[in-house]
Amino acid sequence: MAQVIFLRYIPGDTLLHRMDGRLKLLCLLLLSVAAGLASEWQHYLALLGVAVSALAAAKLPVWALLRDWRFFAVMAALILVANAFFIPGDPVPFFPFAAVSRQGLVAGLRFAGRLLLAVMICSVVMGTTPLARLRDALEWCLRPVPLVPAARVAMMMNLTFVFVSVIMDNYVEMVCAQKSRCVESCKNPLKRIKYLVLPLLTQTMMRTDEIVYALEARCYSEVRTPASFGTCRADWLVAGVCLGVLAFVILW
Amino acid sequence: MPVLEARNLTYVFPDGTVALSDVSLKIGDGEFVILAGANGSGKTVFVRHLNGLLLPAQGGVTFDGVPITRNLAEVRRQIGLIFQDADSQIVGQTVAEDVAFGPENLHWSRDEVERAVERALAAVDLSGLSDQNPHTLSGGQKRRLAVAGVLAMNPRVLVFDEPFTGLDYRGVVQVLEQLVRLREAGQTVVLVTHELEKVLAHADRLVVFDRGKLVEDGEPADVIGRVETYGVRRPLKNGGEMGSLTWLR
Repeated sequence: MAQVIFLRYIPGDTLLHRMDGRLKLLCLLLLSVAAGLASEWQHYLALLGVAVSALAAAKLPVWALLRDWRFFAVMAALILVANAFFIPGDPVPFFPFAAVSRQGLVAGLRFAGRLLLAVMICSVVMGTTPLARLRDALEWCLRPVPLVPAARVAMMMNLTFVFVSVIMDNYVEMVCAQKSRCVESCKNPLKRIKYLVLPLLTQTMMRTDEIVYALEARCYSEVRTPASFGTCRADWLVAGVCLGVLAFVILW
Repeated sequence: MPVLEARNLTYVFPDGTVALSDVSLKIGDGEFVILAGANGSGKTVFVRHLNGLLLPAQGGVTFDGVPITRNLAEVRRQIGLIFQDADSQIVGQTVAEDVAFGPENLHWSRDEVERAVERALAAVDLSGLSDQNPHTLSGGQKRRLAVAGVLAMNPRVLVFDEPFTGLDYRGVVQVLEQLVRLREAGQTVVLVTHELEKVLAHADRLVVFDRGKLVEDGEPADVIGRVETYGVRRPLKNGGEMGSLTWLR
C-alpha cells in the first residue's frame, strides 16, 4: 500500500507545500466550483492549465500519480460511454456506432473532464498538505458555523483519511491471501464478494475498536492546542489565480 | 507506596468469558516488570485496565494511591500504553504530526508541543524522519514511533503490549535498545510478552498469567523454572545464566 500515493501527503518544500491550509481549502473550493460550472472547451483548457501547473510546481511524482489515477480514468471512460449512448440527439458523422449522439458525446466528455480535473486538483491539495494542517484549516473554517462541532468534524475527516489507508492495506492483504488459496477458481462472483466483504468488515470493526482505544490512550480531546497559521503574499497570489479562473469560467 | 496498584481486578467479556479473575499486583517506581502468559491468558486485558481503557467488573486500579477513575485523562498521560499493533496507533500522515497528537490533546502551547515532538523523536532516534509518512516506516521504526508518541506526553509509566511481535532481528534489537535506555533513565516499565529469551535479563520481576489469573510473581530467577507449566516457553536450561536472556549483545 505504501506504493499507492493518491490522496497521501508527499513531503516537500515547494510554494504549495508551504501554503496556508485555509487558503488551500479556499482554492480547492474555487477550482471545484469552476470545474462544476465549466461548459466550454476554453474553460477546461484553463482548468487543465492550472492543475498541470500546480502539479509541476508541487514537484509531485506525476508518473506514480498517473498509475493511481487509472481507476478514475476507467470511471471517466464509463461515464463517457454511458452518456454517449443514452443521451438522445443527432448522430455523429462518420462514427461507426449509430446509437452514439453528438449531444451525448459532448455531455460525456464534460462529465469525464470534470471528474478528472477534480481528481487532479484533490491530488495536488492532499499531496502537498499534511493531514493535520488540513484538519486545522477545516476546523478554522467550520468554527463560525453555528451548531457544527468543528473540532469533531475535522477529526472525523482526519481519521477517515487514516482509516481508508488502513482498510486498503487490509483489502490488499486479504485479496492476496484469498488468491493464494485459489479463490479465482470460484466462478460465482457473489460467493467471492461474500468471502471478501464479510471478513473485511469484521476486521475493519476490530480495527475501529483498536483505534478508539489508541485515541483514548493518547488522551483524545476536542480542546486541543490551537493551530498556528501563517499567510504570505505568494499564498494570496495562488488564491487570486484560482479566483481568476472561476471568474473566467462564469463570465466567458 | 507503589506507583501502580491493581486490587482484585475481575473483568468479564459481554459473552460471559471471564478474562480476569481477582488479579492483584503492585508496581513500584522505576521497576521493570514483565507480564508473561500464553495467548488468551488475560495479559492485554490487564494492561488495558492500568490506564482505564477497560474498567473492571470488580476491584480497581490506583495510581500513586489515587483511584484512576478520578482523573482518567491525567492517568492516561502518566501511563503511556504502546499497543501491540503499531499501525492502530498511527493517526498522523507524517511522523512529527503523529507524535504531536498526544501533546495537542493535552492542550499544550505550540512551542511546548514542538519541543515535546523534537525530544521524543530524538529519544527514539527518528529525528531525521519527522517528515516521512509513518506507513512507509519499517516494523521496528513504527514501533519506535509509537513509543515516541507516548514519550512526548512525559509519562511516568510505560506499558508495552507485545512489542516484539512481527519484528525481525534488527527490529527487536532497536526496540530492546530503546527499552534498556528507558530503564536506565529510571522509567517504570511494564512489558507484556511471552518471548522471555529476548528481554528477561533486563527485568526486575516476572509475573505470569494463566487463564485470567495471576499465578506467579517474583524475581525472574525464581519464577523462570515454572513458566512452562503455564504455556510459556522456558528459555533457560538448567544451569543457564539469566544474563544471557537478551537479544542485545
